[in-house]
Amino acid sequence: MRQSHTAVIERNVWWEGAFATEPYEAAWASEALFFVRTLESRGPEGGMTARVQISPDGMVWCDEGTRMTLPAAPGLDFCRVRHFGGWLRLCGELPPESSLRVIVYLVLKA
Amino acid sequence: MQRAPELLSPALSRFDPLPRILFFADFDGGLNGYTALIGNYEGSLDSLLPEYRDLRPPMLSNLSMWDTGSAGGLDGTYALKLATRPQAGSLAVAVKRLTWRRPGRIQFEAYFTFKPEATELQLSNTDVRAVGFGLDLQDGDRRTGARRVMPHLRYLNALGGQMVERWQFKRAPEPMHEIGTTGKTRSHFHLAPTGWEDVPDGHQQLCYNEIATKQNWHYVRFGFDLDAMAFTAFQCNDRTFDPSGIAPMMLGAMPNLWCMLNPFMWVETDLDKRAFLYVDSVLLSAE
Repeated sequence: MRQSHTAVIERNVWWEGAFATEPYEAAWASEALFFVRTLESRGPEGGMTARVQISPDGMVWCDEGTRMTLPAAPGLDFCRVRHFGGWLRLCGELPPESSLRVIVYLVLKA
Repeated sequence: MQRAPELLSPALSRFDPLPRILFFADFDGGLNGYTALIGNYEGSLDSLLPEYRDLRPPMLSNLSMWDTGSAGGLDGTYALKLATRPQAGSLAVAVKRLTWRRPGRIQFEAYFTFKPEATELQLSNTDVRAVGFGLDLQDGDRRTGARRVMPHLRYLNALGGQMVERWQFKRAPEPMHEIGTTGKTRSHFHLAPTGWEDVPDGHQQLCYNEIATKQNWHYVRFGFDLDAMAFTAFQCNDRTFDPSGIAPMMLGAMPNLWCMLNPFMWVETDLDKRAFLYVDSVLLSAE
């Protein structure tokens, strides 16, 4: 049976301006989904995106290439990642005046 | 020493368990039921006590370092990892939840190591504030004067940038708060920085090993009597400590926690840098 794990990496936090999730180690997994559930949103709702980043050491990051749209509240959206090595995070920058209260899930599978 | 045949495997023979193994969590096989800790809430997550809102969750790590690559676990590739946020006082906690069958002696054993994030090319040995191990227990529902009992042991590595290197315990309860409006939910933040007491003769210098990217595994063991609700043993590496000098936190029994047996472990950072606790394996045994 394949190993799997869901990590809640942000819970009920407000994002505004630049944001990045805490580094999460996932070297054992071969596929991942980031889910962003928006509980509350304020301000303009256009242009809200996040991008996946990867890292060899959990400290220095580069874009993996995957991007996702961040939904206005109430909403849920996701993106898929494969072949990511050891560390994953989600980062981005919301437009001025926009903010989101989110729960972020990282769903991993071996 | 004569050992039971089932304890002769390489994975188990490094432990000294009581006769009945309740669980053996080797994190090469996943998180084994260890999960994130959250406080109690009612109606909204905003009702959480502030200290419970962002306890960071466990993950599986192969201990990859920027300068030397993967160190792996004590055996195998993976260990449970707890990582704080890079904010002084941030905590990461892992808990596993089960119940007990017989109010006798139990014993917790683990192999662990801790380090700060290697963001500086410095010794960094005062960056991790503390790592700790505890149990959240409650008597059975038929017991007169039933208790909720929380043995806590932490290794206070450093505080305010100064080395401390001392084992501590906590028996002073934290204030209990009503959560929500139904009168059914309460919460107390038992990992608060207040109320810690020194374990007698509990100063112990552990192998830090010079830079932030070298990990040496340590052994910890403590025994607890579920009837007397008292420590029966405490050991870390080559040192054993007198269990009569340490005591658990005691509270009145709570409405829906009967026979609870929750081992938990945590790490706290002393400055605005991530602190990591790695646990290779945990074994909980009973008489």
